[in-house]
Amino acid sequence: MQSNFERVEEQKSLFACLIITGLGILVATFLGKEMVKMVTDLTYIPVAGMLVVFSIIISARFRKTGNHGKAWLLFTGLAISWFIAETTWTIYELVYHLNPFPSPADAFYLIGYPFLFLFTIHYLKPFKKLISKKLIISAVLITISVLIPSLYMTIENNSNESKFAIILGAIYPIEDSIVLVPAIIGIVLFFRGEVNFLWTLLLIGILFEVIADTGFQYFTLNNSYYTGHPVDILFIWSYIMFSFGVYSHIKIFKKETKIKESNKFV
Amino acid sequence: MNFEKDQLRKALVSLAVEKVLFDIGDPVYEKVIKQLSKDYDCYLPDCYEHPEYLNKVLKKIFGNSYVTIVQAIKKELDEQIIEKPIEIFISTISE
Repeated sequence: MQSNFERVEEQKSLFACLIITGLGILVATFLGKEMVKMVTDLTYIPVAGMLVVFSIIISARFRKTGNHGKAWLLFTGLAISWFIAETTWTIYELVYHLNPFPSPADAFYLIGYPFLFLFTIHYLKPFKKLISKKLIISAVLITISVLIPSLYMTIENNSNESKFAIILGAIYPIEDSIVLVPAIIGIVLFFRGEVNFLWTLLLIGILFEVIADTGFQYFTLNNSYYTGHPVDILFIWSYIMFSFGVYSHIKIFKKETKIKESNKFV
Repeated sequence: MNFEKDQLRKALVSLAVEKVLFDIGDPVYEKVIKQLSKDYDCYLPDCYEHPEYLNKVLKKIFGNSYVTIVQAIKKELDEQIIEKPIEIFISTISE
């Protein structure tokens, strides 16, 4: 059981991680584009790798039981797929000195979204009776209001990017908007009352991911994106929030000793 | 007769709580059971007579998001809420 002290310590560690990675990238920016590229690429690998480790641990703990058991398996699929994507991006950029967008990394980023969507669905499924039509409609409306400017930006752009890159860039906000609906529902559902902060991190992580993707698309289309751009800080923060969210679940639901059968009434 | 009815309600409440917790996942159920046993030396069916134990344990584990779990239990017992003892159970775990 987490004591208040442990919880505060966890929150402090989270903020420390966010500040260190954010400041690290900002400081590297002053040392030149090559330096910030290297720092950012090399930050993505351990951050995404940590998420894979935590996801495997929590999946092993839930062993497919209940809706959250299935949810964690799907989340592990997401973590693995995005870890491969980050590694591919880094190899393309740091080893082969090629532009990593578009590249095979995109295939792995895009594969991650269906996993993320199904994760949120299974995560919220036990509480489906509490999800009103009004809440679903509100979430859909918010999502559409985010999607329309993104799509407009893609269609009305004067970028030097190839048609393929522009279409690929447009797929991200569409996938984001699909994921955003259950994420908003989850945030509203778990924020009723003053919810356990770390539990909502998974959903807030999705929100950061969506904002970062929109920023990435915007800055790519006006040719101002480079690896290490401040928008990358948001991507890294979303990984960190995911990791802390999963870690919190691991701590709360760590293996307990055998339970006496007398708890079963029938 | 009253005793039998009460036993039936106790079973219904216990099953509803079990269902909600298992729907989330085995470790969630295990955590609640373990905490009930550790803090109050009681089992899940005993929470029918002591709903305040379940309330405290859910709050301890889930923080303020216990509200979502309680609402799910309430929905599960929806048709039985007209019965006074079940209404008392629900209102106590909701506090």
